[in-house]
Amino acid sequence: MSDLLAVDDVTCSFGGVTAVSAVSFVVTRGELFGLIGPNGAGKTTLFNIVTGLTAPNTGHLRYRGEDITGLPPHRVAERGIARTFQNVRLFGELTALENVMIARHVRTRSGLISGVLGLAGSRREERDTHERAAALLALVGLADRAEERARNFAYGDQRRLEIARALALEPELLLLDEPAAGMNTGEKRALSELIRDVRARLGLTILLIEHHVPLVMDLCDRIAVLNFGQLIALGPPGEVQTHPAVVEAYLGDSV
Amino acid sequence: MATFLATYDFLLVSMVLAAALALTLYLPLMAGQLSVASPGFYALGGYTAAILSTKVFHHPAPGLYPVSLVLVEIVVAAVVSGVLGLAVGIPALRLRGIFLALATIAFVQILGVVALNLDVTGGAIGIFGIPQPFSSQMQYMWLAIPLLVVSMLFVARLEPTRAGRALVALREDELAAAAMGVNPTYHKVLAFTASAVLAGAVGAISAHFINTWNSRQGTFDTSVNLMAFVLVGGSRTFVGPVVGGLVLTALPEALRGIAGLGGLPTWFAEFLRDGRLIIFGVLIAVGTIFFPQGLITPALLRRLAGRRRPAAR
Repeated sequence: MSDLLAVDDVTCSFGGVTAVSAVSFVVTRGELFGLIGPNGAGKTTLFNIVTGLTAPNTGHLRYRGEDITGLPPHRVAERGIARTFQNVRLFGELTALENVMIARHVRTRSGLISGVLGLAGSRREERDTHERAAALLALVGLADRAEERARNFAYGDQRRLEIARALALEPELLLLDEPAAGMNTGEKRALSELIRDVRARLGLTILLIEHHVPLVMDLCDRIAVLNFGQLIALGPPGEVQTHPAVVEAYLGDSV
Repeated sequence: MATFLATYDFLLVSMVLAAALALTLYLPLMAGQLSVASPGFYALGGYTAAILSTKVFHHPAPGLYPVSLVLVEIVVAAVVSGVLGLAVGIPALRLRGIFLALATIAFVQILGVVALNLDVTGGAIGIFGIPQPFSSQMQYMWLAIPLLVVSMLFVARLEPTRAGRALVALREDELAAAAMGVNPTYHKVLAFTASAVLAGAVGAISAHFINTWNSRQGTFDTSVNLMAFVLVGGSRTFVGPVVGGLVLTALPEALRGIAGLGGLPTWFAEFLRDGRLIIFGVLIAVGTIFFPQGLITPALLRRLAGRRRPAAR
């Protein structure tokens, strides 16, 4: 039972375009699994399928042995799968702290009435939510900006805030969709460190989409390569890097 | 002061009730849902109180109607509206944006037609002679003010809680909120039902206050008025709709007062007296262009709070 997520023969098409075509792979517990491929290869669609935002046409998803195919997004999140978005989807009008606090939703219980009445249990939970959110902001290095509104953050900071928000769910599986996009070299290095750090500290399994090849090669235990919706290679970084189909499809002349 | 209160008693109570009703539009808006269903629940609450007080609770004619029975009616009206709110909300909130607005307009119309054609609601005539629990209209404040204060406290305290944050997250980005584990349907229906409960309670008080209740209460016109309250007052804080409800309900009377001052050209005085709806409409249009966030914005509230803090030190 070391398999955490099994993607089994998943196909998804929009109109005439097959975004993901008969893709199967297994992510083992504790692994840092990379997903690479040229633009339009179906990486984000696959993320959307795993998190319940898009329903696959055929195929199944198994998480901890349970079939989660077709579950709505909030049910998937409840089971411990958190994600960030390629195009950053923070709650822009809210503060950094509030953004992270919202993601404590599935780990907290207070209802409408107990919250409004400020019952003891609810107040305790609220304090706990506040503390944990603050701790997560500190973890991603945004502790001193807790009260700033998310929309005023620089792009790289927004991406780190999104990671803090995803971590607030206490996920077992974390999906990062191009976390380094728009970051400079220094920020990318810091991000690598952060990913490594939270993975070790929280015992996370991470599924990572990334265009920046050195980052992926450096971080990931295994890498799956998608091209036109098909899985064309899967293996450790060294193996994938020299795989003829990958060289042709993606790495091309740049390597 | 006493003359002022005596002259404007009806207006002042109406202002407070309008402010509470404006909050019923704000609750679904917290979750980003534009629903104008609350006039329907307001009408339902009014009918509930009217039927209970004239047909169920037989109270001998001389003497005031007991306030305790009005309180019972308010609770019953709130429950009935809440149940209907749940029943309507579950299917209706599958719709988004303008489609939800249209569906809730249809709901208000359907309720109006049903009320017009049922015997128990008195058909086109409606229900009149609703018994009075108070000897003066001003005393309705004893019901209206607590209701407004309680509902304002409810919304104010809701915002920084788990459920309140879930609503705001849905407003900001429904997809991201769902990915963070917020159940969109559950929370939208929750806000919608809370709104229905409050609208029903306001309706119950209004039925006694207006003394008669018919199918012209709680129509599409009310929906438009409520939208104006929220748009002009501000839709991003709960203070906005309350201020909007108070100010815009008073505005026509204020204009009438200005028209009554001497020294104005006749045509202008007449315009102020009779062109109230035109002025109202222009205000809404101009307001949404120049103050798209309304008069009371979160930034304004923050500034006010910030100014108070150093002074306290």
